[in-house]
Amino acid sequence: MSDESAKHGGRRTFCKLCIGGLAAASAGMVAYPVASFLGRPIRVGSNKPLEIPLDALAEGQAQYVEFRGAQMIVLATHEGPRVLSASCPHLGCNVQWDAADAVFRCPCHGAVFTQTGQIISGPVSAPLKAIPFEIKDGKIVVT
Amino acid sequence: MRLLQTIYDWFDQRYEITPLLEENVTKKKVPRTLGWAACFGGLSLLVFLVQVFTGMLLLMYYKPDPAEAWDAVTFIKSNVPMGWLVQRIHAVGANLMIALVFMHMARIAYYKIYRSPRELHWVSGVLLLMITLGLAFTGYLLPWTQLSYWGAKVGTEIPSAVPVIGEEIERWIRRGESISGETLGFFFAMHIWILPGTISALMGAHFLMIRRTGISRPL
Repeated sequence: MSDESAKHGGRRTFCKLCIGGLAAASAGMVAYPVASFLGRPIRVGSNKPLEIPLDALAEGQAQYVEFRGAQMIVLATHEGPRVLSASCPHLGCNVQWDAADAVFRCPCHGAVFTQTGQIISGPVSAPLKAIPFEIKDGKIVVT
Repeated sequence: MRLLQTIYDWFDQRYEITPLLEENVTKKKVPRTLGWAACFGGLSLLVFLVQVFTGMLLLMYYKPDPAEAWDAVTFIKSNVPMGWLVQRIHAVGANLMIALVFMHMARIAYYKIYRSPRELHWVSGVLLLMITLGLAFTGYLLPWTQLSYWGAKVGTEIPSAVPVIGEEIERWIRRGESISGETLGFFFAMHIWILPGTISALMGAHFLMIRRTGISRPL
């Protein structure tokens, strides 16, 4: 083959290189998007702090927000705003807000918590985890 | 390169790949008078394969549920890397496939290639067209947008014009009186398994027929 290429002034080799190059480029154009697609999806804003404007809070209403892969509860209490982890300290179910009684109830084993996360009853040994936050420009900020 | 050659030779000795490739691809005899227009059928197949592949990728994130379908497609388009591209290729490819199928048919009709001995090529081709349109119609509902919903509503209303059994056909397609979660589930099953399975089998038959009769030679 190398003799023949030399005889034809390397034109055959040149054409082969061009075709091979185009084929490789085309394969890459398919492989790159497919490989990207098979990667992990982007969770938008996963590195940003959680920001909730204070005036979006109403007393007696709990807001559930997902933050860093966990459910958080933001609510206004008579003692001021609170941010709690929604995960029940018993076995990790998400506690539900009961607006009528102003308590949190765990759907799994019936634990009941006050709106500040203190235990009322149930098989739990710890209160709902309070998430530290600061208030900046009229917003609750969790970092 | 040497290694690739060794691997190729190992297979070639056992399965005689080279004569197979020469006969069907590299040294295949094609009538000199055949033009570019003879490619539309093959291009339809190529686009179909692209649709199958991108469809498999989209299926990783799609959820056939009225409450989740739209969010799932939005998630693919905005959060999955290159998801926007895969989703667009699948949507544009559907239009492209229909266009190519019609161009293929136009050429066959213009050159009267449907005549004996190729009558069943045409008949199977028309069935393939029907399934292609069915795939496009069922796929259109899946993103569960306003366009999808009303498209499916109007589309499923059309058979109700058939005398006597029309309304029953409409209810059968909709899986009930109106477009609902059941319609979505039915369209989803049609779109990802039933119609692709049927079209693949029929395509196989279509290609075998062409192999048996040979490609038509223009004068």
